[in-house]
Amino acid sequence: MRKFFAVVKHEYRKVVLRWSFILGTLLMPAMALVFAFVPLLIFSFRGEPAKIAVYDPDGKIAARLEAYFAHKPANKLDHPNAGRAIPMVSGQQISTPPAVIESDFTLVRFTTATAEPEAVRQELLTRIRAKEFDAYLIIPQNPTAPDACFEFRSRRGGDFTLSDVLLNGLNQAVQSQRLADARIDESELRQLTAPVRFDAKGLDESGAEKDSGGVFAASFLIALMIYLMLAIYGQTILGAVVEEKETRIAEILFSSTRPLVLMFGKLVGVGLAGLTQLSIWVGSALSLVAIAAQQADFRPLLKSVPTITPAMVLLFLSFFLLGYFLYGSIFALIGSAVTSPQEGGQLSFPPTVLMLIGFYFSFAVIRDPNSSLAFWASIAPFFAPITMPVRILAETPPFWQIALSIVVNLLAILAMVWIAARIYRVGMLIYGKRATIREIWKWLRHS
Amino acid sequence: MSSDAAKNPSVEVRNITKRFGEFVAVEDLSFQVSPGRIFGFLGPNGAGKTTTIRMMVGITAPDSGEIRLFGELLSPKLQDRIGYIPEERGLYKKLKVVDQLRYFGALKGLSTAEAEKRIDFWLGRMGLADWKRAKTSDLSKGMQQKIQFIAAVLHDPDLLILDEPFSGLDPINVEFMIDVLAEFRTQSRAIIFSTHLMETAERLCDDILLINRSRKVIAGSLREVKSSYGTNRVAFRGRPADGILKMSPLVAKVVSFADEMEIHLNEGADPNVLLRDLVNGGAEIQKFEVIEPSLNDIFIAAVGGIDDDPSRAGR
Repeated sequence: MRKFFAVVKHEYRKVVLRWSFILGTLLMPAMALVFAFVPLLIFSFRGEPAKIAVYDPDGKIAARLEAYFAHKPANKLDHPNAGRAIPMVSGQQISTPPAVIESDFTLVRFTTATAEPEAVRQELLTRIRAKEFDAYLIIPQNPTAPDACFEFRSRRGGDFTLSDVLLNGLNQAVQSQRLADARIDESELRQLTAPVRFDAKGLDESGAEKDSGGVFAASFLIALMIYLMLAIYGQTILGAVVEEKETRIAEILFSSTRPLVLMFGKLVGVGLAGLTQLSIWVGSALSLVAIAAQQADFRPLLKSVPTITPAMVLLFLSFFLLGYFLYGSIFALIGSAVTSPQEGGQLSFPPTVLMLIGFYFSFAVIRDPNSSLAFWASIAPFFAPITMPVRILAETPPFWQIALSIVVNLLAILAMVWIAARIYRVGMLIYGKRATIREIWKWLRHS
Repeated sequence: MSSDAAKNPSVEVRNITKRFGEFVAVEDLSFQVSPGRIFGFLGPNGAGKTTTIRMMVGITAPDSGEIRLFGELLSPKLQDRIGYIPEERGLYKKLKVVDQLRYFGALKGLSTAEAEKRIDFWLGRMGLADWKRAKTSDLSKGMQQKIQFIAAVLHDPDLLILDEPFSGLDPINVEFMIDVLAEFRTQSRAIIFSTHLMETAERLCDDILLINRSRKVIAGSLREVKSSYGTNRVAFRGRPADGILKMSPLVAKVVSFADEMEIHLNEGADPNVLLRDLVNGGAEIQKFEVIEPSLNDIFIAAVGGIDDDPSRAGR
């Protein structure tokens, strides 16, 4: 037993003191932060607002357009510029108070002496070329006519949101103008045609409400995390076994203690390192959520985070460990049968595919956690370690199913470790060439 | 070491056989290793040396026969009393020297505090104290060899098994290691020493075992083996009286070298009789020396002999 703990300690230290482990452990939370906040940051950087000249000989639509953007409630929150005094464009053509500032643009009313459309257009183009404006909007003579065409030209052709927002505003402005022309009370109509409110939420087993979007994201995250951890730590074991075989350290180790002690010690040591990393990640994620909960701005966001109980965390870790020992013993087996890390990489394809299938099954589980496919996928060995945590999160199955899954996977681990240990103790001492399947079968039967 | 350990053999191998499928790696091999002696385990490549050693350290088990260490059947517990340097050396490249030694010590059941003391002692003795915290891959090959040696002796083994221990060492370090081994011998430990270098074996070994093609060929103390191989050659320098060598019924053949000649005697001939004949015949003798066969000669005769002379196979 003392030797077993010596192996565990050695393997644990070897993984944990590695730079890649320390970096990975610290960088993962940092990267999660980057992924969460950088997009917000980037979108908060806005360019100079586009200056749009609005030519409206009639003046009605422009006024409504300005009113529309001025009253749009979102403006107040999103855009510090909202309501600010309008910058005056020098020159006699500018009327007061002409401009309204939207998120990305400023509307500036443009008037000119001539009424000849082509002359107006030419003048606008000249000014745009002079960078006085970024875009122009020409409102036709009879804007409420069904065939009226609004002309918008912009130097910022790629800014689709700009033209979208403008189009919305124009539609609203023209509509309300038409209503006014038809002498229909706009506010009354608004009330009558107000859209219904639709409140859609998922229900869990007990009938409590939950946000399905949040559950989906969290389930995906859990599945991805377990899959990645299994792959990373499987490779760690493979590397450690190949190193001992390649450098012939195995010979000294085997002369000191039994191969099973060594193999199991290695699995436990590397597994504890994985658990350490996972705990740090889960811990930092939980504290991040806790910190975010203090911030009023984040509360609506957090409402969609599904509740995760300590029991759930315990189950997730248990299933990670089940998967880890199952796949870890396969990787130890592979490591003992090959002669170099490269060969090990080639042979680790089958277990990796197995993991990947488990990962894909988790999508089926997220979509319908009570289907028979979800049931079998969360019981079957090799898949359950990834799919069962997802199922628990999406819709906790009856306890007997969880217990059955644990028992089935424990049995699979026993069988796998037994097979791996028999192959390991022969394979580690065979040098020179990669073992064939037939040789491995022979070792399994005769050792 | 208790006094009865000096009487009882440290290693007792009885009729062990090991097969790998059709191939017989070791066949019906028996021998004993005594404490306080250096035991040379010799044989050409593929003779079954490594397989035998692996069985002695408990890595594999014989198909039949038994191995006793210190009077007990080999068990995992007894592994703690063996120090082993395999032919193919292995250290963790990225590990610090001290961590490496701590781990190997712990695997032999050494407590942390005791290991710490002995690591410092041995690193000091090997002149590697400054390298304690260095990464193993930064050490030269010779230094790594020494670390490997420390790993094998850290737990004070009663039986030390060394497979080609001097490969990769410079002559100064070879002398140094030989001193350490001699010291182990005086401490009544048993040392099994496998090598291809016959000169080294001849210098170091008290007993030898030569195996070839999975079987024992020669066994015994170095002295016995050498004398059993006969002393039928004489190195001679001087001016022999005309015809004595040619006429003598004792002489089979004379091989001349630049400065001296080698006289091969007939089977059963007494070199003393020849010496008397030469003196009586008036020869001027500067050198007359009975040549013992070197271990190298014995090795070649025994191993080579099997190939081209079946009658010698029983030796």
